[in-house]
Amino acid sequence: MTYHEFQQIVVDRAQAEGLTEYELYYRASESTSVGTFQREINEFSSSADGGVCFRCIVDGKMGYASTEAFNTEEAASLVLQAMENARSLESEEPVFLCEGGKEYASVAAPEYPLPETEEMVSAALAVVDKLYAADEKIIDGSSAEVYREKMTIAIRNSKGLDLTYTHSGAGIAAAAVVKENGEMSDAFDMKHGQLSTINTDELVAKAVSDAIDELGGGPAPTGAYPVVFAPEAMGNLLAAFSSVFSSESALRGLTRMKDQEGQTVAAPMVTLVDDPFYPDSAMPVPFDAEGCPTRTKNIIEKGVLKTLLYNLKTAHQAGKETTGNAFKGGYAASVDIRPFTMYLAPGDLTEDQLLEKAGTGVYINSLGGLHAGANAVSGDFSLQSAGFLIEGGKKTSHVKSFTVAGNFYDLLKNITALSDTVKPPRGMGMTAFCAPAVLAEGLTVSGK
Amino acid sequence: MIPKDICQRVLRKAVSTGGDYAELFAENTVNHNIHMIAGKVDAIQDAVIAGASVRVYKGLRSVMASTVDTSEEGLLLCAQRAAEALGQGSAQIDIVLKERIFGDIHPVKEVPSSAANREKIDLLKAGCFAARDYSSDVKQVSGSFLDVDHRIFLASTEGFCTQDRQIRTRIAVTAVADQGKGAQTGSASPGRRMGMEMFEFIDPVAVGVTAAKQAVTMAGAGYCPAGVMPVAIENGFGGVIFHEACGHSLEASSVALGLSQFAGKLGQKIANEKVTAIDDGTIPGAWGSINIDDEGTPAQKNVLIEKGVLKTYMIDKFNGRRMGLPSTGSSRRQSYRYTPTSRMTNTYIAAGSDKNEDIISSIEFGLYARSMGGGSVNPATGEFNFAVNEGYLIRNGKICEPVRGATLVGKGSDVIQNIDMVGTDMDMAQGMCGASSGSIPTNVGQPLIRVKAITVGGR
Repeated sequence: MTYHEFQQIVVDRAQAEGLTEYELYYRASESTSVGTFQREINEFSSSADGGVCFRCIVDGKMGYASTEAFNTEEAASLVLQAMENARSLESEEPVFLCEGGKEYASVAAPEYPLPETEEMVSAALAVVDKLYAADEKIIDGSSAEVYREKMTIAIRNSKGLDLTYTHSGAGIAAAAVVKENGEMSDAFDMKHGQLSTINTDELVAKAVSDAIDELGGGPAPTGAYPVVFAPEAMGNLLAAFSSVFSSESALRGLTRMKDQEGQTVAAPMVTLVDDPFYPDSAMPVPFDAEGCPTRTKNIIEKGVLKTLLYNLKTAHQAGKETTGNAFKGGYAASVDIRPFTMYLAPGDLTEDQLLEKAGTGVYINSLGGLHAGANAVSGDFSLQSAGFLIEGGKKTSHVKSFTVAGNFYDLLKNITALSDTVKPPRGMGMTAFCAPAVLAEGLTVSGK
Repeated sequence: MIPKDICQRVLRKAVSTGGDYAELFAENTVNHNIHMIAGKVDAIQDAVIAGASVRVYKGLRSVMASTVDTSEEGLLLCAQRAAEALGQGSAQIDIVLKERIFGDIHPVKEVPSSAANREKIDLLKAGCFAARDYSSDVKQVSGSFLDVDHRIFLASTEGFCTQDRQIRTRIAVTAVADQGKGAQTGSASPGRRMGMEMFEFIDPVAVGVTAAKQAVTMAGAGYCPAGVMPVAIENGFGGVIFHEACGHSLEASSVALGLSQFAGKLGQKIANEKVTAIDDGTIPGAWGSINIDDEGTPAQKNVLIEKGVLKTYMIDKFNGRRMGLPSTGSSRRQSYRYTPTSRMTNTYIAAGSDKNEDIISSIEFGLYARSMGGGSVNPATGEFNFAVNEGYLIRNGKICEPVRGATLVGKGSDVIQNIDMVGTDMDMAQGMCGASSGSIPTNVGQPLIRVKAITVGGR
């Protein structure tokens, strides 16, 4: 049974049960990837999946049920299960479905024909050849992965909403593994876009030089220093703490940004933007997970918190309009809040000037353990780090196996400079975090 | 789950372009999740995950295709996609499927889907309310009740078809406490490969109290100092140190490609002689247990390291081909959408002979890590990290004031040599482990251990 047929059976069933407010959220994707070992393709994977989430309002409560099995029996059980779940809910917060008939931005997604498998195979083999040719330290385990993906999201509800969004894309990842004096290290980089337009020389060079940079070196000396976060590291830190800007977290008392709209929460040079149409985004999106139109907004503008991120429910509670940031982690997930492309606006120093300004300190290239060592409620973080010492205003020796610790809320206030270039997000997906290089004070390095 | 004659036709199609092994995996999983916050149930989700995948090997090449269409036509199409991706060639393999029943060493007294929402909500409330009522410093409590009914079916050109049903239940409570020094969190989340009878062993009130106590303790704590020091790591989730520092680097997915600090070291001493480490998928009712792995191999008890000497890796069929070694029953995947690979099950450092009090009193100045959070590792370099959720300073052999915000980092091959005291009271705790084949339930465990020197990321 196709989704189209299944959807109608669900709607008929919902109406037969007397439901007047309901929604079907469908998400399907097809993805294919090829991977290499040595100079051969050793893995091919092609996944097709698709599922639907049925939501309905019963006595003011929103019940959910989801399935991937599209058949008549499942359609009935989906509706009944969602109704049963709604009846078990206790939260008295009013819930909403999006009204139909709204205006949506036309999204200028970079459309290009998806590569055929043969093109993916030859692209992967070409990249792996470049990896082996790039440096004599390159060893087996260095690999290329080429992928293509197509995604469809369709939302239909009882309020006249009927939206469909499709997105497709492709990309290449290069992973370099190098060995010297018995020590191994690795790094990867990836770019998305039409395969023929991806500069694989640059891609390979970046992966290989990052891997070589990781060789040697030991922990940085323990102490408090100025710290420069490389753009990727800063982007990862933003990702770990993005929930502090969620109005849901604020309602629950889980962020210090609660009741701070209009207040200074960061240094005056800090502007934090959420842009669903970010030019380098892999996946610009015209509507959010509730079907509301998305829009670009400054979350922090010159240090002042302008707005948190809202969905229909939290906006109602705060007496505001939704910012169009409803998010579902998968078709079956409940509606939460998430930014699209969240980025720190660039400053006016080059990265060299930023290092000069730091004088003596630590440059953090990469952060590890973000899912464990960063607590969005307290803002505290203590994270495995690798990078370089900064001496005399320049990057010098490589350091690794140390931690950088601080507090995200304090960090926002302790930023003293930002570089002038935001590094575009890498990878696929509608959620991305990026930043320029950032210089901050007040952090502790724990190493040797 | 799928009739034998259909399996045969699908497998025949899968190897039609020259594959030398093919496998059909089908799944029907029901996830049920109840969430509560601020004393009220605010979300309930039911999700049915249903689909199939076909894998084909030819030598050291592997192809996987998956589909949600489990009709014969859908499965044949899926097999054809896999066969075509393998390339040109032809093969005729005679496929005779014999049904295998491995039995179930994890009996379930009460399947969670047969219990009403109300019953689960009452258990969840008992936990959440116990956390809320623990102290006026507790400012917020959230919790969830999760049950999973995961049915898998496999048919393979090795000539068998088989199935398993894996039922898991878990309760989690997170508390936030504040004493004016910044909010801190505490959590507890026990789970078992059991049904509702799990609550004969697990008291939700104790779960809530554990979470709240941790949050309140940390809310009153100062920051952990930074530097290299000895650390005593408690049992239960403390086992995350082995999971990250060593476990991932012993998975064939890294070892077969040479991307592990422990590749090529079978039979060599890689750890302190105090360390014996085991991955055991056969522990009845344990969170990480399986009857069969996701390639249909029965689960095993694998002694990974015996008194410091590397005995075996954790191996799946595909990586085993490259290594010339048989599967150790370690192939796992989150769902049919993921390509399975070697993963951990219940992984722990076995009990030793040091007394807990001797371990603590041996430390002049260091950290006692009572409760751990998650971590991660790069198996190629062995660089790992994990968070300490509840820590205390040790001064002159005594556990003193609590400290917050510490992360431990190091290199697995060094740290595993530095585990120089191992206590007697092994216990395990539950986690979800994420890697290329998705998020899977795993246990970590150990007795109290001492690491003689490790970098503590405080401030």
